[in-house]
Amino acid sequence: MSVGAPPRAGRGRGALLVAVVVALLALMTGWSAAGVGFAPGELLRNLGSLRRIVGDSFPPDWAFWRRLLAPFLETLQIAVVGSVLGGLISLPLAILAARGVAPTPAVAWVHRQAMNLLRTMPDLFWAMLFASAVGFGPFAGALALTVFTVAVVSKLLSESAESIDFALTETVRAGGGGWSSTVRFAVLPQILPQYVSFVLYAFEINVRASTVLGLVGAGGIGMVLNTQRTTFQYQRVTLIVLAIFGVVVLLEQLSEAARRRLV
Amino acid sequence: MSTAETPPAEPAIRFAGATVVYPNGVKALDGLDLSIERGELVVVVGLSGAGKSTLLRSINGLVRLTGGEVFVEGRSVPRNEGAALRALRARVGMIFQDHRLVKRLSVLTNVLLGRVARVPAWRQLLGLWPRRDVDVALQALDRVGLVDRARVRASELSGGQQQRVGIARALAQEPVVILADEPVASLDPMTSHRVMDDLQRINRDLGITTLVNLHFLDLAKQYAQRIVGLRQGALVYDGPATAVGAKDFAEIYGRRMTAEDVLEEVEVRL
Repeated sequence: MSVGAPPRAGRGRGALLVAVVVALLALMTGWSAAGVGFAPGELLRNLGSLRRIVGDSFPPDWAFWRRLLAPFLETLQIAVVGSVLGGLISLPLAILAARGVAPTPAVAWVHRQAMNLLRTMPDLFWAMLFASAVGFGPFAGALALTVFTVAVVSKLLSESAESIDFALTETVRAGGGGWSSTVRFAVLPQILPQYVSFVLYAFEINVRASTVLGLVGAGGIGMVLNTQRTTFQYQRVTLIVLAIFGVVVLLEQLSEAARRRLV
Repeated sequence: MSTAETPPAEPAIRFAGATVVYPNGVKALDGLDLSIERGELVVVVGLSGAGKSTLLRSINGLVRLTGGEVFVEGRSVPRNEGAALRALRARVGMIFQDHRLVKRLSVLTNVLLGRVARVPAWRQLLGLWPRRDVDVALQALDRVGLVDRARVRASELSGGQQQRVGIARALAQEPVVILADEPVASLDPMTSHRVMDDLQRINRDLGITTLVNLHFLDLAKQYAQRIVGLRQGALVYDGPATAVGAKDFAEIYGRRMTAEDVLEEVEVRL
């Protein structure tokens, strides 16, 4: 086997490369851990209080469920409003931002920059921003999720629009169609399944995100979770966490099933 | 109105020194001079890469000439996208090799795409097609024998049926010229004949000038009134279909004819 020698040399170099990468990763992790003040000892020393919290959390306070219904509904409402509004804004934005689909490259560039700006800011930032505009509450939460939905859906959808079969846009143009006709009959039919799928996906994320937004005062189940936690009602907290888990998993299953049928 | 009409003496299509050089340096059309009279059915033959597709696409401005001019009924084809070019495209129907139907839309909607230049954008957006335009589309479907399939999804049709919907779409434009770019290249012989029959019948019944690109010479001889041969972007044959012989074939294809050049496995009589 005369071919044995060169690969062995190659393998040796490969192993060296792996070793270097692993060492670098270890170094970086150690450096970062020191930076965040990572102290396993501290965690161990406080294990007692953690154990106490866990003890206090069980059994869940099942009787509390009646007072969860209304806040849960509010959380879902926030997610629905954010997803629908965001979805509606995303569609034209994605089309105008897609290269090859937008009327001119300059139009595509401007809209892509707008999308980038939206994505740069975290949803909590938008929640704070809208809270200062319309006051803390579900409305501010819904607006924040609207922006978040636009950020996610418009980005994914404009990428779908850039990878359509452009033969169909040429066909519409060959028949004398203008830009709006090509969008209506060549672009939209090709991206519609993905569009619905992306909005459903955003809705899944929004249900979870609206819970988090509740923690900062946007209403819904998150707000209840926060009040119970700050008043040390850990058995109720357990129930809330379980309920959120159940609802999120259920909605994810539903939306996933719907999306599978679409694409 | 009558002042805008062009004198009938102008040919349907006229190339004058038409040249297309692609950005990669390929010369697809090389100073072509050619006139197609109104109502003619002309088949363009040649090897792939001979410039057949470029010739057709320059007529509706999908490919821009880099030199010379092309006229449709006496009017020069505009060089830039805009209202003038859209108006010209509205009068020139095109049929593509790969059907180019929007698979998710109904057959009727696909045919209505031939009306996009005449229907306001808001009506298109909402799918509110005027009655008259729907009638034109249904008539076009009737001409290719598929009016009973109007409401089904385009994806449910067979390849040959999809190509005939493509013909109906071109017909719905009420065009003065129909361009068919290798319309049977992906169809079996029987379906190919069905499609060519439709094109021939439309040309005869409605007098629409028709230009068809074909690879198969036997099919060209069978359906064309006139055959135009292209080789490396230049005209190497132009004459009645009945007069094409083996020598002309060698001139167009640069080699002798083989079984690959005929659609059916019948003896080659040239």
